[in-house]
Amino acid sequence: MHNHNHRHPINCILPPHVLKNIATHGTESQKSMAFSTIKVSEQMRGQRRAMADFTAAAFRVTAVGGGKERIIYDAKNGSTLPGTIVRKEGDGPVADVAVNEAYDGSGTTYDLYKNIYGRDSIDNNGMRLDSTVHYKKDYDNAFWDGEQMVYGDGDGELFNRFTIAIDVIGHELTHGVTQFEAKLVYSQQPGALNESMSDVFGSLVKQYSLSQSANEADWLIGAGLLAAGVNGIALRSMKAPGTAYDDPVLGKDPQPGHMKDYVNTSSDNGGVHINSGIPNHAFYVTAMQLGGKAWEKVGQIWYVTLRDKLTSSSNFQTCANQTFTVAGALFGAGSLEQQAVKFGWSEVGLDVEGSGDTTTPPASPGCLGSLLKLIGAA
Amino acid sequence: MEAKRIKFERTGGFAGIRFAADFALDDLPKGQAHQILELLDEMDFDELPEKIQDNQQVADGFQYSITVVTEKREHSVTTSDTSAPKKMEPLLEVLTQIAKQQARNKK
Repeated sequence: MHNHNHRHPINCILPPHVLKNIATHGTESQKSMAFSTIKVSEQMRGQRRAMADFTAAAFRVTAVGGGKERIIYDAKNGSTLPGTIVRKEGDGPVADVAVNEAYDGSGTTYDLYKNIYGRDSIDNNGMRLDSTVHYKKDYDNAFWDGEQMVYGDGDGELFNRFTIAIDVIGHELTHGVTQFEAKLVYSQQPGALNESMSDVFGSLVKQYSLSQSANEADWLIGAGLLAAGVNGIALRSMKAPGTAYDDPVLGKDPQPGHMKDYVNTSSDNGGVHINSGIPNHAFYVTAMQLGGKAWEKVGQIWYVTLRDKLTSSSNFQTCANQTFTVAGALFGAGSLEQQAVKFGWSEVGLDVEGSGDTTTPPASPGCLGSLLKLIGAA
Repeated sequence: MEAKRIKFERTGGFAGIRFAADFALDDLPKGQAHQILELLDEMDFDELPEKIQDNQQVADGFQYSITVVTEKREHSVTTSDTSAPKKMEPLLEVLTQIAKQQARNKK
C-alpha cells in the first residue's frame, strides 16, 4: 500500500548534501520525503537552486504497480506544496467540488492518454498524478511546477476556480508530458508550441469526456473560468484566436491565428500564451478537415510528433513539417490525413517544407511493423 | 526604506493576462501605504537580489516585477510564485489587488 504520509514536510535536521543523496539514491518513499523537505526548505529561503541538481527522475513518484493513481491535496489557501491529502485513488467524492473536479479531470486526462495513445501517465511509467487545490488566496491561476498540478480558487470577481474547466486540467497535465518528451523550452516559439500542445490535449480531454466530434466541440480553452460580469466566453479560442474575451478590465484576447500577426514581445516568456494561437488554429483546421473524433487521428498525429519528433528548440515550422511527416507515416503519404495537416498549417501561414512527399506512393498497409514502431506500440 | 513610488507588474499565468500598477504611496489610503511600507521593511526589500527565480521550469506560473523608488535609488526585483520568499507573498497579494483596482478604474 502506498504511504500517503511520505510527502509531508519534515523538520529538516539533515544537511542538504545528505538530502540530495537520499533524493537520488533512496527508495521511492525516501526520495519523495527528501525531495519534499528540500523543496520546502528551499522555498523558505526564497530560492530553489538546489533543485536544479536533480533530474526529474530522481524524485519522480511512480504509482504502485503502475496504472492510474491520483492524489488530491488541499493547500488551504497557503502556498506550501503539496498540502494535506484530501482524496486519493479509489476514494469516493468529497464535499469540496474543487477536489472532485481535480480528481475526475486528472482521471479523464489519464484515460485519454492511456486508452487512446497507450501512454501510462505523465512519464509513461505510471507516475502518480498529484494535484493541489485551494493554492493561495484568491489566486487566479493554475500551473505545472515540474512535479505536480496546482490550482487556485480565482478571485471570484474576474476568475472562477481553475478546476472548473476540464481542459485546464488536461492542459496542466500535458505540460508534464511535454516535460518528459519534447522538453520544449518555455520561451518564444518553442514555448508557444509547449503551450499549444497543452491547449490541444486539454481540448481533446474535454472532447473525449463529452464524446464530441470536432464539429460538436466548442474549441474553447477555459470556458466557464471567467466570472459573471466579465465580457468573454473563455480564455482562448482555437477556432477563432483573439475572440475569447474583450473586457474593460482584462483587455482583449491578444491571440493571433496567423503568422502575419505573430506578436514579438518579451512579456509572458516571449508571448507563449499569445502566439500559441497560431499552432492551436492549425490543429483546429486540420481536425475540422477530417471531422469525426479529433483525438483519434489528428490527436494521434500531434501526440506522436510531440513524443518522437519535436526537441527542446523546435519552432512552428518544425512542428508543421514533423506533423506532416508523422501523418504520412501513420496514414500514408498523400493520404487525406496528411493533406489535412498540410492545409491546416497553410491556413495559419506556414507551408510545409518538403511536402512534395505527397507525390510518393502511399505506405503499404502491410508495413504494420514500421507503423507500430513509430507509434511506440512495438 | 523610504519608498515613494512603486511599479508592479504581473505577467504570464494560464491566462497570459498582464496586470500592472504604478502609484505613489502618498496616493494610497494611509493604512494601505503603511502596510506596504511595513511589508517592504520586513523582507529587507533593498537587500533582495534583482532576480529570485527557480532554475526549474514552471509552466503557466506568474512572473512578478516589483520596483520600489526612493529619493535616492530605484530597486527592482523579479520573481515567481514558486521562488518568491514567503515574506513577499502578502506584498504580492496587495500589489495584485491594487493592479486590478487600477485596471477597473480605467474602465
